[in-house]
Amino acid sequence: MKDIEESLRRAMRPVEPPQGFAERVMRALPERTAPANVVPLSIVRKTPAVAAWRRFSVPAALAASLLIAVFTGQHVATLQAEREEQAGLAASRELMQALRVTSQKLDLAYEAVQRPAPAPPAEEENRS
Amino acid sequence: MKLESAQADTPLLLDRARRGDQAAFAALIRMHQSSVFSIGLRMLNRRDAAEDLAQDVFLQLYRKLDSIESIEHLGFWLRRVAANLAIDWLRRAAYTRGTPLEEGAEIPAPQADDDPLMDRELLRLLGELAPAARAVMVLRYQEDRDVAEIATALDMPVNTVKSHIKRSLTAMRGKMIGAQLITAEELP
Amino acid sequence: MNARLVSGLLALLIAGPLMAQAKGPPLRGQLLLPEMASLADKASESVSVTLDSQLLGFASRFLNPEDPDEAAAKKIVSSLTGIYVRKFTFDTDYAYPKADIEGIRRQLAAPGWSQIVGARSKKDQTNVDVYMLVDGGKARGLAIIASEPREFAVVNIVGSIDLEQLHELEGKFGVPEMQIESGKKPAVAPAPAAKEASKPRTP
Repeated sequence: MKDIEESLRRAMRPVEPPQGFAERVMRALPERTAPANVVPLSIVRKTPAVAAWRRFSVPAALAASLLIAVFTGQHVATLQAEREEQAGLAASRELMQALRVTSQKLDLAYEAVQRPAPAPPAEEENRS
Repeated sequence: MKLESAQADTPLLLDRARRGDQAAFAALIRMHQSSVFSIGLRMLNRRDAAEDLAQDVFLQLYRKLDSIESIEHLGFWLRRVAANLAIDWLRRAAYTRGTPLEEGAEIPAPQADDDPLMDRELLRLLGELAPAARAVMVLRYQEDRDVAEIATALDMPVNTVKSHIKRSLTAMRGKMIGAQLITAEELP
Repeated sequence: MNARLVSGLLALLIAGPLMAQAKGPPLRGQLLLPEMASLADKASESVSVTLDSQLLGFASRFLNPEDPDEAAAKKIVSSLTGIYVRKFTFDTDYAYPKADIEGIRRQLAAPGWSQIVGARSKKDQTNVDVYMLVDGGKARGLAIIASEPREFAVVNIVGSIDLEQLHELEGKFGVPEMQIESGKKPAVAPAPAAKEASKPRTP
């Protein structure tokens, strides 16, 4: 008995799920959003470093602004695409879940239909 | 990885996860994923179904984090939910035999004293057990739980758990002898 | 599990035109399924899926065509305009009020709906009813109401339904196939049915 028990323990050592399992679970979680950390613009304007930059770097600022706009636009587009993909994957998981429930319930119905009907009770014999 | 070996950092992670720290929850998943996935795999005999089941379990955990009282409770809770969910799925489908094992998929990483042929046959025989008996065997020999905990997790009397273990081992041993994978002399 | 599809959140993430479209009245074959929030709070596990035609199309784009189950799903949903599921699992027997089920059944008494399966099992205390809406000689709606002691589920599928494809749903999507015809017997006698029925689903 002990040998087969040891063999069972050995055979049933846990195995890892496919790679990326934790990430897939996290993607399927309902979203929680953290509040943004917003700094009022009036505070930003009053700092000496910002004042110096604005006085001496206007052309550079213009060029930098253009570059930032391009990269920000790309970054926003990337973020949006990522968010859309996450939403899409979540939706597809929901769809599969809905079909799974449908399949389960159709199985139940099929099983009930296939089950042989109980035999009718035997009729009582005529009493003489 | 057995659940106990992952418990060292779990209290802090559990606390942070309860407070909404998603990275902490992801770490909890990674700590326990092999155990939960393996319960699903041994019960359902399919990797895709096992992954779906494991995902369902962790999604439930996410919702029920506030009700998890301690590390020990977390481990018990995961085992209980995984096993019962698997029994539910099997019972509804009236699944009575395992599907053929995929090559190299379900067998753990080989170690020095392994006997792959025997391991494969044992897992196949495990897949032929009825759902409740299979769950008992998985919790006993994969998760190394005692009879009392298995009884609580599966909501069955202790004597029923013992009976499942005894009958399952007897049936498996008989088939192993029949398949000449062990000899009758190996019986006690 | 409370795997709620946050339809509103998805709508925010999808491009503008989809958000701008009005919801409109329910389509023919679509039931009015309440969210049943109070039931969800009592349940140990709940599934609430609401996928109208836009969300179905969106979700379908992200199905993996190389996965056999997802490829089959893509084929099935291509002609559908809605899938709505409510499923609740409880830790105790009959924790759901029957009035909720009756409210849905009343909608299925409307013209066009026919009951095609009405199964009652005293042994498992399971009731399953399947309804079909036929319009112009074609199946346009499907409804399944399944109640067990610790679970209650409603499924509503809307659109052009291919019964052949629906039959293929049986045994798919991670649910092991039933082997009723195979006649194979388990190696170990299964546990008594009464014990199985009283087992908790999830803590």
